[in-house]
Amino acid sequence: MLIDVNAYLGWWPFGLVAEPTARQLVRVLAASGIDRAAVSHLGAVFAPEPMTANRRLFTACRRERSLAPVPIVNPLLADWREQLAECAAAGVRAVRLVPNYHNYRLKSRRLDPFMAATEAAGLRVVLSARLEDERHRYFALRIKPVAAAEIGAFLARFPRHHVLCTALTLNEVVELAPAHANFSADLSYAEHMAFADQLRGKVALARLMFGSLAPMISARAQAAKLAATSFTPAERRQIGERNARAFFRL
Amino acid sequence: MRVIDVHTHPVMFKAGLKPAEVRWLVAHGRSLGITRMVGLGDVLLHGRNFTAEQIVEVNDDSARVQRLAPDYFRFFCFLNPRLGERAVMREVERCVERHGFIGLKLEICNNARDACMRPVMQAARRWRLPVLQHSWSQTNLRQRSFHTDPADTALLARRHPDVAIIMAHLTGCGVRGVLEARGLPNLYVDTSGGLPEAGLVEFAVEHLGAERVLHGSDLPFRSAGVAIERIKGAKLTPAQQRMILHDNAARLLNLG
Repeated sequence: MLIDVNAYLGWWPFGLVAEPTARQLVRVLAASGIDRAAVSHLGAVFAPEPMTANRRLFTACRRERSLAPVPIVNPLLADWREQLAECAAAGVRAVRLVPNYHNYRLKSRRLDPFMAATEAAGLRVVLSARLEDERHRYFALRIKPVAAAEIGAFLARFPRHHVLCTALTLNEVVELAPAHANFSADLSYAEHMAFADQLRGKVALARLMFGSLAPMISARAQAAKLAATSFTPAERRQIGERNARAFFRL
Repeated sequence: MRVIDVHTHPVMFKAGLKPAEVRWLVAHGRSLGITRMVGLGDVLLHGRNFTAEQIVEVNDDSARVQRLAPDYFRFFCFLNPRLGERAVMREVERCVERHGFIGLKLEICNNARDACMRPVMQAARRWRLPVLQHSWSQTNLRQRSFHTDPADTALLARRHPDVAIIMAHLTGCGVRGVLEARGLPNLYVDTSGGLPEAGLVEFAVEHLGAERVLHGSDLPFRSAGVAIERIKGAKLTPAQQRMILHDNAARLLNLG
């Protein structure tokens, strides 16, 4: 069983693959050995208000039970309480923040009531550090990734929240881990021939999860990441399944 | 399916030189179906402006690994073109004739469009060696004074049509890199580097033909298994996959 905590529906305008239907995404993931996925909708990254795309996400996930919706919300919009309320009513377990695409900083004071409200609603927070490699992305995009230092300050400010940070690089995970126990990280951007050895001892395995960034990134290739490592089969199960189950209460 | 990985760094920052490390890497590669690895040297060991002595150090380290597993590793000779014609020719001759290296590797000492590339290409011609040029889109990096953009690698191939050139890092070169490489039969693209972006291998095959795409991982920075599954998971025919994963490199580098 492999659970992907970083997958998407919707159209990624800077890539080469067509927008998949939910059924197609499930097929691609299944063909790659991925049984379940926490999915966000890319339409909510780019739209001025995210809920239209999130509603499409809810509908799609109701049809495909292996997809768990993680709506993308924008806490800087005046309707953030309504966004959260609608997400909670849809039965989601977590919401995703994309601060660099929604044009706010994690130090914004507006996040204080937002984070309190997620806690009150029993919602987990997933934070996207990046959605693509800034070194070679399309020239029209000038969005910087969320800096590790900014994420560190955010984690320190909200110590009662355990945040899942997706698409951190290996160095960023290792940099943040000693000072901040209240985050988990997916492995979508963490890659090195010996990355298991580099993480072992620095980050508790209970804080690592599998993420693919599919369909923008090849799910089959990402799924191979855990296989050829020094992680034991039990550790792979923990990273590939159990930690995600616990975080998303799947 | 047999695999030749044309873009590996078995030694990186001096790690990988010990016999046990070499044995581990060979076993690791074989477990993934990799029958041969092309090593490119410890190319970041001394920053980006290597002295002649430092170049020799890197190539001698490569030779040491090759001697430990000669049936598995074949290395390219790492060069700093800015050291000039005499130093370049001397090092290529030493690496080819003493160590049996099979290609030339260029990193970020200079841009591939620079005049200092002329002796490198003369050496490639004289010893019939392919040239693997590190390439990465400079649209966002803006380091073009020393860092080669795919357009620069294409220019190099255009200037030297009788030399086989490998444009490294398909993901870093992207769509623009593939389009730059069109119409240049002596220019190959390797699939190493960056996350396995969906659809890009297929795009390269569509525009260049499968015969000009070579499988590479860029290990240890990247996982060899991930790189292989990127090809196996691409929407290509089994014949195209076989060409990319093995046959093209076997033919170009004479690695049967």
